[in-house]
Amino acid sequence: MKFKTVGHSEVRVDAMAKVIGEATYPEDFYMKDMLWGKTLRSTKAHAHVNLDTQDAEKMEGVIKVFTYRDVPDNHHGVVLKDHEVFCSKKVRRIGDPLAFVVAISNKIAEKALKTIKVEYNEIPAIFDPVEAMMKDAPLVHENHKSNIIFHYKLRRGNIEEAFKKCAVIIEKQYKCGMVDHGFLQPEAGLAYMDGDTVVVCAATQYPHFDQLEVAEALHISQEKVRIINPAVGGAFGGREDITMQVHLALATKVLGRPIKTVYSREESFLAHSKRHPMVMTYKTGADANGKLLAMEAELVGDTGAYASWAINVMRKAGVHATGPYEIPNVKVDSYAVYTNNPFAGAMRGFGATQVPIAHEQQMDMIAEELDIDPITIRLINGFTLGSTTATGQVLSDSVPLKECIEAVENSLGIKNHYEEKMEELAMEAGVGI
Amino acid sequence: MKKRGKGIGSIFYGTGYGNGFPDVSNAIAELLPDGKVAIYVGATEVGQGAKTILSQIAAEVLGIPLQQILFVCEDTATTPDAGTAAASRQTYNTGNAIKIASENLREEIYRLAVEHLKINSKVGLKMADGKVYLNSFPSLAVTFKEIADTFSKQNKRKTLRVEGSFTALTTKMDEETGQGAPYWPYTFSVYGVEVEVDTETGLVEITKAVCAQDVGRAINPKLVEGQIDGGFAMGVGYTIFEDLGLQKGEMKNRRFSNYLIPTALDIPELEKIIIESPEETAPYGAKGIGEPVMIGVAPAILNAIYDAVGVRMTEIPVTPEKLLKAINKAEE
Amino acid sequence: MKKINLKINGSEYSLEIDENMRLIDLIRDVVGLTGTKEGCGEGECGACTVIMGGVTVNSCMVLAFQANGKEILTIEGVKGKGNDKLHPIQKAFLEEGAVQCGFCIPGMVLSAKALLDENNTPSREEIREGISGNLCRCTGYNKIVDAIEKAAYYLVKEAEDNEI
Repeated sequence: MKFKTVGHSEVRVDAMAKVIGEATYPEDFYMKDMLWGKTLRSTKAHAHVNLDTQDAEKMEGVIKVFTYRDVPDNHHGVVLKDHEVFCSKKVRRIGDPLAFVVAISNKIAEKALKTIKVEYNEIPAIFDPVEAMMKDAPLVHENHKSNIIFHYKLRRGNIEEAFKKCAVIIEKQYKCGMVDHGFLQPEAGLAYMDGDTVVVCAATQYPHFDQLEVAEALHISQEKVRIINPAVGGAFGGREDITMQVHLALATKVLGRPIKTVYSREESFLAHSKRHPMVMTYKTGADANGKLLAMEAELVGDTGAYASWAINVMRKAGVHATGPYEIPNVKVDSYAVYTNNPFAGAMRGFGATQVPIAHEQQMDMIAEELDIDPITIRLINGFTLGSTTATGQVLSDSVPLKECIEAVENSLGIKNHYEEKMEELAMEAGVGI
Repeated sequence: MKKRGKGIGSIFYGTGYGNGFPDVSNAIAELLPDGKVAIYVGATEVGQGAKTILSQIAAEVLGIPLQQILFVCEDTATTPDAGTAAASRQTYNTGNAIKIASENLREEIYRLAVEHLKINSKVGLKMADGKVYLNSFPSLAVTFKEIADTFSKQNKRKTLRVEGSFTALTTKMDEETGQGAPYWPYTFSVYGVEVEVDTETGLVEITKAVCAQDVGRAINPKLVEGQIDGGFAMGVGYTIFEDLGLQKGEMKNRRFSNYLIPTALDIPELEKIIIESPEETAPYGAKGIGEPVMIGVAPAILNAIYDAVGVRMTEIPVTPEKLLKAINKAEE
Repeated sequence: MKKINLKINGSEYSLEIDENMRLIDLIRDVVGLTGTKEGCGEGECGACTVIMGGVTVNSCMVLAFQANGKEILTIEGVKGKGNDKLHPIQKAFLEEGAVQCGFCIPGMVLSAKALLDENNTPSREEIREGISGNLCRCTGYNKIVDAIEKAAYYLVKEAEDNEI
């Protein structure tokens, strides 16, 4: 079938504005009589807090200091509503928002921020997700009986029996750290009233969800909230959870004037989610021909102080734990755990990015034990049309994994390289004898 | 000493929210008075190219050049909910919704063309360059603009607007066994890299890199390549650079001066191989690739490091200090 | 307050400014040229790159009064008047698919311009060095390098055509 535009490398429709400097990101909007907002954030990881905002409110040029008392419904969150718009009694991580100062200039708002007295009464904190799973660990959220908020179980076949039949079994633990999206445009936003509608202009991945979250927090109908989503300077998952949207909406609704806020790079790091660090414990076994027979994995994902997308991330990690291979016997336990670390949420790959760090090294180790090259072991086990995944899903269409493996092999010559290396090693060993 | 090694990482990635969650995209297609077509959809352009490829899908259905599509996605007041720009779902989910909306508009335009041309059937009508014409008698034709005019006159100056909606099919997995069909479609990706490890400094340099990326069908090959390049760079950062330096819940590295992301000097040339295998339920066969393009990078580098120096790095990021320590330990 | 005179994109400005105002704030907030972006505020990301007196500077690291008597080029001044008057660098960025989210692009274009003004036939490695002070999180740089290489070709060709 011939297409006229599909399949053609058309020039991006938004590129012209971007190369001439006319694309407008939220910070590029200015309004008459606009006020500036700044967020006060927690400097402790786990503490009861008390705020004294009197000095700030008395400062010349300060219009108002917003705290939890001003928020009609002080909650938000993409799955569990476990974030407070402003912390009321306790902070759960460094960076938790406590107050939003609105002033006639950015400088005054910044100055006023420093005059707010925060009394922290620190309580035991937990930073290791494996320790956080233990019964006596400090609770990050008291309304949850445990820090474990999600457990995904995958059970297929019988791993105990299958491991007995394996010619080779590899067991190893892997860890990956917490990282940031590092999109180039730090969060910024401008909100104003259009009649009785609250308009928030901010860079977001999902304007209609922001609309819902703002409406719920402000306790107004969704129709009275409008989100304008202009040019977005990268996202990668880091603009899924809202940051300043409710702060701005609340302030403009109460004050009736346009409010703008622009985060610094540092505040951007503090404000948005991170990639889940994971501890991944793997046991993988194959027969003497390199055919995978069984895999067992335990995945512990540290979601930090808030759930964000943790449930979905750890579910996706669990489903993808096998890698793109047919394995008849599989047992996976995937957990999402609260700690007092920065909160983790969506980031490019969403749990499926972490597990290959484990399953792909397991594959190479199995191959090496059996003296099979890394390409062949993948071709022996890789999904093809009609394969069944560990969840029992049949891959009924578009499964070109083997074409991908072969294309890489044709370009890089891994197989040949492996054989040469084995010969060299054999020769060295021969010389040694 | 500098040692070279090669490694591979192969992955699959299931698109969408998954697990039976209603994964819905809505779109509106509108015939404008000047004969152009507007698409209204709440799908964010985050830089991935959504505006362009979603416009291409509409243009293809309606047989008009890309420039004749007005794509509106920036405002909840004018756009329907198309879900989040995440889970690599916009091409597949919203692409399908826009394709359906555009097909619905095409049917409406055909219906109006039948009236306008006073013919007895829409069979044999074709659409190209903003015109509807009879395939067997091409001079019998009507432009989109004329159809827009007629519709407006007959409908109190309203424009012709139609909707399209798409819901991806997934199932909720069993709570005890995790069995089910949690995502669809799956996208495949394989990276191969050659690294050079300096055994005295622990520095890892990527000297060659190749990605073979399943795309279903590439709506815009150059944009696909751009996604691969970007995913690769982010993957390199994840594997050997990026570290927030968490200490008791505090990020010690929260500036670009200490949270190091790759620069142009850290990224090698990358060979990009697009593998097409159109997926039946996808718009023109196109699958999402935004996330898959970064996933295979880390394992390929880690396997290449092992191949080069014989140590298994089980913890990322593999900073020079960590790698040096591991190399020294292995030599003991 | 300090009084300064400067030229931005060919227009003269005479302004009273705060002594500690940064050049980027003058460009964005006072003059209203918002194409110059702030990505880090500490000279690490290059999004705020402008050309001052012929060399690139991070406008977040320069105080506005330091621009007194200088000539500044921002992204808005790179192209000629009219949309068909794109600078060859901008044209090449469009054609090569070098733009994604676009936030780094104004800085990239200006760094590319400064590089090509100095060296009209840079190698790919020299291009990488020339933009190493400009971070991009979307493109992985390769298509930007492609674009600058193509722009160099356009500029050389343009110069040759002018000679004829």
